[in-house]
Amino acid sequence: MNQAINVEQLNSALTSLRTVRSSVSLVFETLSNGLRADHGEDGKDKFLMELQELLNIVSNNLRDLEQTVNGLPIPVPFNLGNTTYLSQETTQDRQALYTQLVNSYKWTDKIHEYSSYAHTLLSQNSLKRSYINSGSTKRRGKLQSNHNVAPLQVDNVINNIDRSYNDMKITISRPFASNAVVSINLSHVLKAVVAFKGLLMEWVMVKGYGETLDLWTESRHHVFKKVTENAHAAMLHFYSPTLPELAVRSFMTWLHSYVNLFSDPCKRCGCHLHHTSLLPPAWRDFRTLEPFHDECKQ
Amino acid sequence: MGTTKTVHILHNSEQPASVFSILESGTKNIHVIADGLFDLLMMKLSQHYTSKKQTKIESKGPRFELGDFCVKLGSVTMNQNFKGILIEVEYRPCVMANAVWGLLREFLQGLLGPTVPVQPPQHLMSRMNEIYTPIDTIYQYLEHFSAYRKVTGMRNN
Repeated sequence: MNQAINVEQLNSALTSLRTVRSSVSLVFETLSNGLRADHGEDGKDKFLMELQELLNIVSNNLRDLEQTVNGLPIPVPFNLGNTTYLSQETTQDRQALYTQLVNSYKWTDKIHEYSSYAHTLLSQNSLKRSYINSGSTKRRGKLQSNHNVAPLQVDNVINNIDRSYNDMKITISRPFASNAVVSINLSHVLKAVVAFKGLLMEWVMVKGYGETLDLWTESRHHVFKKVTENAHAAMLHFYSPTLPELAVRSFMTWLHSYVNLFSDPCKRCGCHLHHTSLLPPAWRDFRTLEPFHDECKQ
Repeated sequence: MGTTKTVHILHNSEQPASVFSILESGTKNIHVIADGLFDLLMMKLSQHYTSKKQTKIESKGPRFELGDFCVKLGSVTMNQNFKGILIEVEYRPCVMANAVWGLLREFLQGLLGPTVPVQPPQHLMSRMNEIYTPIDTIYQYLEHFSAYRKVTGMRNN
């Protein structure tokens, strides 16, 4: 609404500018024509009178223009960020990038808006299967992006978690620009690597103690393949874009419960090994962190 | 040099490029893990170490993989005489005997019957909280081979 008013004011200012211009050009036109036949006998005085009149109109128009311009808000300089450098682009076919950029910006803005509406609607839905953080509705209002968090803040969150466990060692590395890749050593039981995007977890891979860690190759042991699978489920379960720190912390707490992967029997059947899969209880309940076999968890 | 000391030399098909040797010296055993050339070195040292060919003992048989378990059934022979059967069960994902013992016992009781009492091997008793290495397997084999040597005929275990 505010913007519409601005446009109106701008239009009137432009119109008055145009009037000033035309009246000024009229003055010059009259001047260049000089004395005409219709000025008659004492043409000199009449000519001067006419000129005087025209100059008065100009000064009136100028006053109008000044008034409308004063009514306009002073424009704030836009911070264009890196896009300012687009103007220095020399290749022809890239100069059109700016419009595309603005369009995509509009789109993301819209997506942001719609997704926040969707979030409100979904959090009111009582038929939800996974629990969305209902407490987050209070602190909404300004949604901030958690994909783009300062590396220092990510480091702080992860180091805090690291300090709270004695038998879980977490180290941060940044092989891919600013996004953290975190490797976790859980006692002598397992190793895990978690890839972050900002403060959101994107990928988890779990391996055995003696294996070499990397993001993409699976463990050669069945049990750790299963744990990786479950860790992916947990990652999605704890996913919470509005409270990313809580999500990371909950996930780490959950992962830490694997410290007894081999030593604790399943809570339901009481056995270490499941009779068909021959795997130890590789599932941990999200809330109670109790060990279960995949087949026993229902 | 005085006292005679025994050196056991063992090979394991799981680590085909390594030679394991264990020197018995009183209460403590010293082990050396070397590559295949160690056998040749021992031959060169035949002046100092005399080989007791007649006590060569071997456990040979099929190897199975079941999930993460590796089960080896070995028939033990000493100079072509059948002595008994050794079963080796390895659970490869875990490196700490202490953590995995309950699970292993369950597996072994499933294999041998629920009434069989299963105790951790003597060698592992002191190393339950250490990281398991291939030499620990060798020590266990040596333990059993020594027991086989002492008895004549068949041994039940």
